[in-house]
Amino acid sequence: MEVIKTKNLTKTYDDGAVPVHAVNDVSLSIAEGEFTAVVGPSGSGKTTLLNIIGGLDRPTSGSVQVDGQELRSLNENQLIKFRLDNIGFVFQAYNLIPVLTAKENTEFIMLLQGVNEKKRHERVMQLLEEVGIQEQANKRPGEMSGGQQQRVAVARALASQPKFVLADEPTANLDSKSADNLLDLMLKLNKEENVTFIFSTHDQRVIDRARRVITLVDGAISSDITK
Amino acid sequence: MMLLKVAWKNIWRNKVRSFVVITALALGLWAGVFAGAFVKGMMQSKVKALVHTEISHMQIHEPGFRDEYQGTYVIENNDAVIQSLQQDERVEAVSERLISMGMLQSARKTSALRLVGVNPELEKKVSNLHEMLVEGSYFESKVKRPIVLSQKTAEEYDIKMGSKVVFTMQDIHGDMKSAVYKVVGIYKTSNNMYDKMTAFVPFELIQKMYDLDQGSHEIAVWLGDHENAEPVAADYSEKFKELEVLPWLDLSLGLRMMTSAIDIYLYVIVGIILAALLFVVLNTMLMAVLERTREIGMLMAIGMDKARVFRMIMYETIFMSMVGVPIGLFISWLSVTVFGQTGIDLSAAEYENLGYASIIYPRMDFQSYVVVAIMVLVMACVASLYPAIKALRLKPVEAIRKV
Repeated sequence: MEVIKTKNLTKTYDDGAVPVHAVNDVSLSIAEGEFTAVVGPSGSGKTTLLNIIGGLDRPTSGSVQVDGQELRSLNENQLIKFRLDNIGFVFQAYNLIPVLTAKENTEFIMLLQGVNEKKRHERVMQLLEEVGIQEQANKRPGEMSGGQQQRVAVARALASQPKFVLADEPTANLDSKSADNLLDLMLKLNKEENVTFIFSTHDQRVIDRARRVITLVDGAISSDITK
Repeated sequence: MMLLKVAWKNIWRNKVRSFVVITALALGLWAGVFAGAFVKGMMQSKVKALVHTEISHMQIHEPGFRDEYQGTYVIENNDAVIQSLQQDERVEAVSERLISMGMLQSARKTSALRLVGVNPELEKKVSNLHEMLVEGSYFESKVKRPIVLSQKTAEEYDIKMGSKVVFTMQDIHGDMKSAVYKVVGIYKTSNNMYDKMTAFVPFELIQKMYDLDQGSHEIAVWLGDHENAEPVAADYSEKFKELEVLPWLDLSLGLRMMTSAIDIYLYVIVGIILAALLFVVLNTMLMAVLERTREIGMLMAIGMDKARVFRMIMYETIFMSMVGVPIGLFISWLSVTVFGQTGIDLSAAEYENLGYASIIYPRMDFQSYVVVAIMVLVMACVASLYPAIKALRLKPVEAIRKV
């Protein structure tokens, strides 16, 4: 079952003297349960493509459908709600709320969804256990290592029970061991809970673990390999 | 609830900055309240001094007397008016006065002065001037022709207790009359202008100088409740249509305006201080938003809607106000209470020359505290509008990229 489908997706930046095609005529589909890496050199359009798929940015032309919903037809407020209910985000710099504990950071998104306290508590404890940081539940981001913070970010991304998780260079700020542990965790969640992951990355460790690798060059797909 | 928690925790991220805002709010509120209380205290002391010492609650004259101060403006039906007043339950005391504008002469100086003839025992019930003697007594000596005058007059005329002065005036026939008086009392009020112009002698002495058998120029009335002054004055105006009956508010130039404007002064002062404070809060909240551009972008990216972002910023400002305002209110209450008891001595500023007391007792009522606190809260909310709107305009995709 297709979760994401793009057709002739283009994003052009027209600010300078020469228009830049950050995403150039990209058509692809991603099915439920995929573990996909979008790779390419810097400036190849990986992040822009993920931003458009995630409803954070709008394409210049073409269409993007998530679970059958055309994102271009949604206004800004609808897009925010759509992101809340359908997409989990893991950012390169973790981007946790520094004043909240790991537990509260994970819980926050469910609070935005209006989930009741009992369900929130159960889900948070389950997620923190799954990502292996239940013992850090009451620590704030500043009291945790980068790897631990990124695990909280993964737990937060999964808390809303999204259709898929977009991870933008999730290992870029981690040491090797933390990166390996995080990727193993994501792979486990993918296999055991059928969570769909889409990464933008340079990291060979991510590419090695991905079952599908889409390579972008100058905003266009140059290869799309399923292992 | 979580939003409130995040907002509360956010304000303690940068403790120094929050402390600056909370301090600014507290000090701004204190400055506003205290300045207002000072003005209020100054005005109230002026009003109180005027009413208690100089004019009492209500006065009755022949029309035109207050314009010309001519001895011929005698209240003809004086006894009937006084009898009517004495039978009125709202009236506590009545005192009739004869007033003459004449010349006071000492060895050193001759100058114009207003001599007021009073019945001392009745006068004590409508004016507290007898409590303001700095030397001598209020007509308690057995001197035949006593006069009580002010310390200011005594200094200017170079006279002391027991000195003799000559007062020259016109009687009701237009003839000049002079009489020698002996100083038996020296008083001092908070109004130098009043002091310089006013002296007192027993009623019957000035009555004799005027060559009058009966009647008075002024009937001063003290009421049980000063709030009743206007209705009582209206009643007596109706009853004695040929007389001019004025409540205390209309007896001194600007008194009505002054009493009605006290609260306006307070709010103008607070308004000016708050206008300056607005920029402190605005600047701080703007910094707080700009510093957290990336975080706010992330919140919007993961699904926090604009209304919640807006509320979060507003909550942060309100929380800071809720810390700063009670502190400011407490400092204000404390300083107004302390200085309200001890007073602030401004004798060096010579306010007495302008008719104000030299010691000011700041005053503030509960309602004004509440109004000022609400003004500060509203100001803080207004100040945070721009930063909140700025946060709403952030585009998540751009905000997240910011380092």
